[in-house]
Amino acid sequence: MILTGEQIEKSVTNGEIIIEPFDKNQLGPNSYDFKLGDKCLIYKNAELDSAKDNEVIEMPIPADGLLLDPSKIYLINTFETMGSNTFVPIIRGRSSIGRLGIFIDITADLIDLGSINRWTLQLHSVMPVKVYKGMLIGQVTFWAAKGEKVFYNGKYKNHESPVKSFSHKDFKNISQ
Amino acid sequence: MILTGPEIEYSLKWGEITIEPFNKEQINPNSYNFCLLPTILQVTLNENNESTYETIELKEEGYVLMPHILYLAATREIIGTNNYAMTLLGKSSLGRLGLFLNATADLGHFGSVSQWTLELSVVQPLRIYPHMEIGQIAFWTQQGHYKGYQGKYLKDLGPKPSKEDFTNYDSNR
Repeated sequence: MILTGEQIEKSVTNGEIIIEPFDKNQLGPNSYDFKLGDKCLIYKNAELDSAKDNEVIEMPIPADGLLLDPSKIYLINTFETMGSNTFVPIIRGRSSIGRLGIFIDITADLIDLGSINRWTLQLHSVMPVKVYKGMLIGQVTFWAAKGEKVFYNGKYKNHESPVKSFSHKDFKNISQ
Repeated sequence: MILTGPEIEYSLKWGEITIEPFNKEQINPNSYNFCLLPTILQVTLNENNESTYETIELKEEGYVLMPHILYLAATREIIGTNNYAMTLLGKSSLGRLGLFLNATADLGHFGSVSQWTLELSVVQPLRIYPHMEIGQIAFWTQQGHYKGYQGKYLKDLGPKPSKEDFTNYDSNR
């Protein structure tokens, strides 16, 4: 089951959901609109390797906007610290953002229980388009979970800035 | 409701979910990581505007996926259930590298037990490797009567091209 906006607010009040800072005006009928943070990473090289540590460059988001180049991935944090030990969050772009051809995640919309921090968005645009820090960029929905709960304890835990891919750390696990 | 990791494992033991082969280390708090079958198909259009498929076997040194090309891949695992709805998604580690796992078709065919076909595309060139963990699957409880999936991709093994038949398609209907 998906939570209604009213239930999201109640769960923020009773501590089952963390949204910090929380602004009631950003509640939708069954989601919460979150803002784009202020730190951005891009990869130094055009060609990436999922088994290697790919170097990134930190770039500022200018006050007059960051022009997204369709040939690049931009890792930008959410402004809010969000997460829950009770409900499973799923993120998506706002419809106004989708209408501009902006992806806020690259088929990685499901957040683990216990992953409570500023999330790293994977921005990518179909056409060149400008984004601004602090703009309402995406929405988060919360879903009831069935079964015993274990919490995220992975490689991206507790980060407050955008984090590059640690994909290479998964390669020790491959059994062929 | 979405199943937690322990609930996925529990359902597996009870035979409500099939994941073959299964590795406990690939369980997440609310999903399961699946691996990449080493055979992928590169989709291109021929001069008659028909889709053609070139088979690529991934070797140990990997293979660089290029932007603006669609690749059909498949899960190494045979995955399915008659009890839950399924959604497929990428991993955040690979999303951060610009790898799309599917093209907005993330809802599994409920009732089919198969190696799921994945629609891979990349933003920047990206080297991928055979058998790597490529995506995740989540399981959802359902409401209402169901009869399961009887469609054209029921027991697929390996990546399968679109089987949509447009030969009798009436564009005026």
